[in-house]
Amino acid sequence: MISKMILMIFLSLSLMAKEKMAKKEKNIYELRCIPCHQHRPYSLKKVYMLYLKTFSGETTFKASLKAFLKKPMEETSVMTDQWIDNFSVKNPTILSDEELDEALDIYWNLYDVRNKLQ
Amino acid sequence: MSVSKNKGTNLLRSSEKSSLRRFLVLYFILVVMILSLLGTFYYQSQEKLMFSNQRTVLSNYANEQVHLLRRLHRDFPKKTKYPRHTEFRSAIYDIERVKIFSTLKNPAVNFDKEVYRTNNMIQFVKYLDDYYLGAKYLFVEIDENQDWYGETIRDIAILGLFTLAVLAIFGLFFVNLFLRPMKNSMMLLDDFIKDTTHELNTPISAILANVEMMDHDLMIEKNRKKLGRINIAAKTVSHLYQDLTYLTLDHNRRSKDEWIDLKKLFEDRVEYFAILASSKKIEFELDLNYSTIFIDAIKIARVVDNLISNAIKYNKRAGTINITLRSNHFIVKDSGIGIETDKVNDIFERYTRFNSSEGGFGIGLNIVKSIIEEYQLKIDVQSILGEGTSIRVDFEKGAVDDK
Repeated sequence: MISKMILMIFLSLSLMAKEKMAKKEKNIYELRCIPCHQHRPYSLKKVYMLYLKTFSGETTFKASLKAFLKKPMEETSVMTDQWIDNFSVKNPTILSDEELDEALDIYWNLYDVRNKLQ
Repeated sequence: MSVSKNKGTNLLRSSEKSSLRRFLVLYFILVVMILSLLGTFYYQSQEKLMFSNQRTVLSNYANEQVHLLRRLHRDFPKKTKYPRHTEFRSAIYDIERVKIFSTLKNPAVNFDKEVYRTNNMIQFVKYLDDYYLGAKYLFVEIDENQDWYGETIRDIAILGLFTLAVLAIFGLFFVNLFLRPMKNSMMLLDDFIKDTTHELNTPISAILANVEMMDHDLMIEKNRKKLGRINIAAKTVSHLYQDLTYLTLDHNRRSKDEWIDLKKLFEDRVEYFAILASSKKIEFELDLNYSTIFIDAIKIARVVDNLISNAIKYNKRAGTINITLRSNHFIVKDSGIGIETDKVNDIFERYTRFNSSEGGFGIGLNIVKSIIEEYQLKIDVQSILGEGTSIRVDFEKGAVDDK
């Protein structure tokens, strides 16, 4: 009986530690961007391609997106009017500049066409 | 006196040729520059024509590629295969001019020209309004058809050479037109000299013969001096007569080359000019080795006479004339007025005199030069203004000399 209880406690602790480790390994993009966007009909990949089509270069892409995330406005959004009517403009980010830059770097590298075109 | 062509005018060809050469060089440079400019314009117009023809084709290729890029952008990243074609190659660059993808053979692209040639290829750039896959610039490249280039170069060469030939004929015509007044005045002078020469011979010969025949011992000192002056004057005119005769008549006759004892010749001529030299108290200093030269006797006499005569004429009073003779050269050096460095090359020009205060026609050294050139001898003039002139003539060492 005692051995069963010790085993249960050990398993519980192991599961908790594993969950904590997994949570700790996630990067800023995975922690702060994906959770919100995964419930939206417009995926992050689609947003990326839309921004790429609008701003072209890496520097302009990141700068425009950062500016929008910090101060979202209808006028600066690349989304369609219909989208904005349905879902409105997002709230300003609470991430710091450094966190935002890190997240944008990860986002850019994740879908960077230069590395994927064959 | 009528102006007619005579053989004496041949000697003035050197100055004529020099003017002609200078004019033709300038004319040629000018014509080549103009033709090069026209050739460049023609080449550029042909290139523009070729670009204009190719632009339509390249623009169609670019539109086709844009269509495929749009589809790839939509399907990305499920599809990642960049669209390729057999007819052309392409590349995409983002707004920051960073390469996104390229299949170009020549990666050195030019963002500032719409269509251009590079390494036997033509590249065309299209600026995209929608940046599919982030592409702002789409480059399309095809291999260049070199036919237009060959045809253009051939046209330029043929037309250029033809125009050059036509303009060269015009140039020669204009040169002759410009030189005609100069030629006419030279001919006039030659004809005058030729006519006068004929009238000089008899009186000079008579004067010299009679002076020689006169018994000097019976004369009083005063008359002897006067006779000496008459002798000098007659010999001066005689020397001039010899030059003029050579110039107008003798130099065209066939040469009778023979071995000439130069030492004897110099001694004879120095003796002949001694009375002329003594009138200016000039002394000869001779350093003569035995030497021979294979040449026409009259012509070498004209060379020696003119060099000595000039050395006397342009020497200062109580000066010296050094004559050195060696197996392969002789030097006549005076202690006279000398010549300015920049005028040394002009002294052989006809009708050029060292000093206008001295008499003569300025033909002596021109005769020397013509004979020197005829026998391919070498003449070198060294002169220092105010100190004197040294003229050295080099010739092949005589075979007889070796005995």
